[in-house]
Amino acid sequence: MRRFGAQAGVFFRSTYLQYVALFQWATLRGYFVYKILLPVTQILFFVELGVYATGRQNALYFGLGNALQLTANAGIFGVIATVANERQYGTLPLLLASPANRLVTFLSRAMVNVIDGIATVVMGLAVVVVLFGLNLKDSNVPVLGLCVLVTSLTTAGLGLMFGSIGLVMRDAIIIANVVYYLLLIVCGVNFPVSRLPAAVQAISYGLPLTRGIQAAREAAAGASLGHVSGLLAGELLVGSLYALGGYVLFRFLEGYARRGGLQEAY
Amino acid sequence: MKGYARAAISAFRVSMRLRVVSTWAYLNWLVFPLIFTALGLFVLGRPGASGSHLVYGILGGGLIGYWGIAYLDGGNGIQDERWNGTLEHVFAVPTPLWVILFGKICGSLLFGILAFVPTVLFAYLGFHASLPAVDPLRFVISLGVLTFTFMTIALTLTPLFALWRWAFSFLNGFELGVYILCGFMFPVAVLAPWAQGVGDLLAPTWATRALYASTVSGGAPDIELWWLAAVGLSLLYLVGAYFMYRMVGDRARVSGELALA
Repeated sequence: MRRFGAQAGVFFRSTYLQYVALFQWATLRGYFVYKILLPVTQILFFVELGVYATGRQNALYFGLGNALQLTANAGIFGVIATVANERQYGTLPLLLASPANRLVTFLSRAMVNVIDGIATVVMGLAVVVVLFGLNLKDSNVPVLGLCVLVTSLTTAGLGLMFGSIGLVMRDAIIIANVVYYLLLIVCGVNFPVSRLPAAVQAISYGLPLTRGIQAAREAAAGASLGHVSGLLAGELLVGSLYALGGYVLFRFLEGYARRGGLQEAY
Repeated sequence: MKGYARAAISAFRVSMRLRVVSTWAYLNWLVFPLIFTALGLFVLGRPGASGSHLVYGILGGGLIGYWGIAYLDGGNGIQDERWNGTLEHVFAVPTPLWVILFGKICGSLLFGILAFVPTVLFAYLGFHASLPAVDPLRFVISLGVLTFTFMTIALTLTPLFALWRWAFSFLNGFELGVYILCGFMFPVAVLAPWAQGVGDLLAPTWATRALYASTVSGGAPDIELWWLAAVGLSLLYLVGAYFMYRMVGDRARVSGELALA
């Protein structure tokens, strides 16, 4: 029990420190530009594109998909930057030298961004409600909320995976940009996954967001928890696998760096 | 004048050399346009979609890439000058700032216009989509007018990136808003009237409208007026730019904080 308490202490201290030192958007102006202006214009762009292509009756399909995809804004950009910035700011050797539990410190990198991702989606959904008349009366709001939470966690899992790659790459934010926009194509955000070629569909279901968005659309239509539980379980499994893969990669790169004395040589 | 031309060519050459080794430039030139082309064609190219819808999917990604390079990459170029410690030198040389920026922006435009090559090829090979009825003369003129509008906007706003770092962040965050207001991937006619009014104040909106009109059968009878509107607004931007350059030059020298801005 004492050991668990100590690890929890490490987790929360690490979460707090990464927030004050590594959170990308910790200024009012930065937060407004990248967490409000960019998400709102993204929703507007894709909803208007969808309305032009398919008619105004489908605005909510695009609005909801893009609001959920905003979890990737924090989960991908935020988490990748949080992990990769350790190298850029010269704190990676200190982190690698510390005796703290690696899994705990690694997972703590995602915590603030998960919370931030949820906040971004709530803001995005508010935009969809106000501008496009999303009617939540018939929705199962608690299940929709659960979908948002799960999707935020799973995109952060993907972010942890790519963040680890960022430990050995100078421009990790490039990976973040490419992954973020690719998710718009392959995860059923703006059109059904079934329209993709079969091989790409297989990739879609191996990524976070795909099942989460599907579940959120069903919850918005009033589906019960039992109805979407399979999708959410699959989403959680995918996200956990990415987080685990990221951790394994992190440990591998840590060992590699330690053996070669390369912590600051990337 | 000859000296200015030499300085502009030199800035063009250096910016191109930096660009061909920049990962960001390829991201803006190749990766993002292809992603947006795929997105546009998947959304707009539903079974039974009309040719005019498909045109937006085919050219939209290229327009986004062109804009991204012409404008955002130009802004990034100024940030790079700051990080490399050469921004003060750019301001301190006897050559006027606009001459150097003009050379850099011409490099951006040349690189950016190439974004249409991979996107149109991708649309054709990946989606079997091609432009239905191009009027070559009108298309080329519209593309020329569009290039002029991009150049004047870049020339007007780039010095602001030198003076205020947040100006670039703000416009970077509003990138998708520009796609909406300029009608890069769908006509501005689908927007609310007030948004159409804002879009009409932007020169690329008129040029983009003309570009799309030149690719579908029937075209548009008002296309010459749209070219004139685009060029007229661009000239207005240049008038604004004259005062902008004076203001930026003065403020940069008074504060002496270019590297810290």
